[in-house]
Amino acid sequence: MVRMTITANAAVAHAARLARVALVPGFPITPQTTIIEQISEFINDGEMDAEFIPAESEHSVMSVAIGASAGGVRTFTATSSQGLALMYEMLFAAAPSRLPIVMVNANRSVGAASGIWTEHNDSLPVREAGWLQAYVEDGQEALDATLQAFRIAEDARVRLPVMVCMDGFILTHTVEAVDVPERAEVDRFLPRFDTTNTLVPSDPMVMSPIVPPEFAMEMRYQQDRAMQASLEVIKEVDEEFAGLFGRRYGGLFEEYRMEDAEYAMIGLGTWVGAAREVVDQLRAEGRKAGLIKLRFVRPFPATELREALKDMKAVGVFERSASFNGFGPLYTELRSAMYGTDVPITDHFGGIGGRDITVPDVREMYEVVERRSRGERVNECTWHGLRGEQG
Amino acid sequence: MAAQALADAAVRAGHHAQAFPYFGAERRGAPVQAFARIDSRKIRVKSQVYEPDLVVVLDASLFELEPVTEGLKEGGRLAVNTPLRPEELEIGEGTEAVTATADATAIALQTLKVPIVNTAMLGVLCRVQDLVPIETVMEAVQERFGEKLGAIAGRANASSAWKAYDGAVVGVASGKRRIARAKEWRPAWHEMPAGTSLPSATIDGVEVGPGSARTNLTGEWRWSTPFYKKDRCIRCLRCWWSCPDAAIDRLDDDYMRWNFDYCKGCGICADICPVSAIDMIKGVHRW
Ligand code: SF4
Ligand code: SF4
Repeated sequence: MVRMTITANAAVAHAARLARVALVPGFPITPQTTIIEQISEFINDGEMDAEFIPAESEHSVMSVAIGASAGGVRTFTATSSQGLALMYEMLFAAAPSRLPIVMVNANRSVGAASGIWTEHNDSLPVREAGWLQAYVEDGQEALDATLQAFRIAEDARVRLPVMVCMDGFILTHTVEAVDVPERAEVDRFLPRFDTTNTLVPSDPMVMSPIVPPEFAMEMRYQQDRAMQASLEVIKEVDEEFAGLFGRRYGGLFEEYRMEDAEYAMIGLGTWVGAAREVVDQLRAEGRKAGLIKLRFVRPFPATELREALKDMKAVGVFERSASFNGFGPLYTELRSAMYGTDVPITDHFGGIGGRDITVPDVREMYEVVERRSRGERVNECTWHGLRGEQG
Repeated sequence: MAAQALADAAVRAGHHAQAFPYFGAERRGAPVQAFARIDSRKIRVKSQVYEPDLVVVLDASLFELEPVTEGLKEGGRLAVNTPLRPEELEIGEGTEAVTATADATAIALQTLKVPIVNTAMLGVLCRVQDLVPIETVMEAVQERFGEKLGAIAGRANASSAWKAYDGAVVGVASGKRRIARAKEWRPAWHEMPAGTSLPSATIDGVEVGPGSARTNLTGEWRWSTPFYKKDRCIRCLRCWWSCPDAAIDRLDDDYMRWNFDYCKGCGICADICPVSAIDMIKGVHRW
């Protein structure tokens, strides 16, 4: 293990190197670009034995990734925002083809008005593409989650692509101390790429043919089962990872100071760091606040979350992406998971378009949830830091 | 990169650290910010720093333009690039801070042959706050800059840090001057035009987004000014569409007029003009 002071982008590039990725198609887009730049440097310096293919667009990047993974090699790429949007069609090809591609998405606001800063409205809208989606809190987790992603994606019970999402700039361009494992340690965690169900010239097969209605439902149901199976695989992989590297992330989500909590917030990405500070502040004041750091949005751990939150007097959801005309995507997911319980849930928007999220901002969110837990009337949905009256 | 080297040195010294640039829109010539946090425990907060313990000022003239000591904590410290002694400095109003000063520009010119002062300022920082040993900072600087710019540059930067550390003067700086933060346009959501599109009539079409051109008078960055020789102009329009700040207005007769609120003096127009109808004249002019 070597401790390095590096950005999350560099950490992810190290993960790809350590995972012995064999093929990396890429197309530059801020704030992801330095990931593929670093990887191409590793390849150039002989530290990574892989093929780098600069494609002419992100649509082609994902097409190349699909071809490579189908061809039987471990495949990695990274993108962001409009890049992910341009891949949209091919994302839906990768998952039903059951190709264990790992891709990092540097979360960035998508579309007009142009912004290069963090928002989750690039990745959350593609949560129905059949990919697993993980979100990370810091540079170390970016590296670790990327390594875990290969294991989860390639597990025979899953065989689905995994997208690891991390907040643009806040992680991609921030240096922190990251413990970079040695090759040999990672080799023990990550076996050679499993080449069953891949295209081999000596044993030809057809992959992703036209699937008429007579077969399509069964194929979709397979995807559904594989996603369902990933719930357990994620937990197992996290445990095994912890045994080898000493870092544990809680599997599907991490419970922070939830033991005797009366109210809690749930959220993902770098927001979690500020939320930990706020929970510590509130606890120091004798207030029973807790936190759930959501790691996976797909699969959505509905049963597990319901179990963890069923006794709360109120739960707040943090959103960095809007659904328009009311609640955000995570609220909708959680509300449905909690259906039938009488736990009140409030929705909290913040950091949209990359607006800085400070500890006082998160404290304000928690105050609303606490008021709700005491039975007070509060807005079900609040945009924190918005200028102007909210309807 | 100096903030990164500082974080690197702190990690080498056994601390937790993070460093990042200001994430907003930045442009060459405008003042920039970078942040670092150092702690004995894991740093969880990822927001920008609003109440620093220490401010490093790479150019003392910023005290006249920006409220640089705003938010500085009680007992907070300063490291400033200036030939002046701390007592001779005039910092933000009502502030008094233990300060280290050094003529980092002179040191950088001597060691690096270019006026890039960030590594020298790390030396000054080490002098005013006992965070990380100077030797560790030099080690981190040498490695990081060496990796990017070559071993010679790495060593020169480390020596720049050492010279500034060695020569820095520590004292107390205070200030009476009031520097108001520039008034920024911060509309409520319902005051913003739908789709954030703004009528071109507002500022000659150069307004590209809410609060951008209205508050960024890029003309303030100019140190060289284009001089238009209308009699030579063949009205090819090249300068007009090449200006990155849309600071050239095309008149009805296809001759040009310059908007010096926005011309930042980059010289692209003069460069691209096929008949040398534009001269770049040193200094800030309006004509
Ligand atoms: S120097 Fe010319 S190109 Fe540059 S900003 Fe001024 S008018 Fe525009
Ligand atoms: S580029 Fe030169 S000749 Fe062409 S319009 Fe501008 S000033 Fe005139």
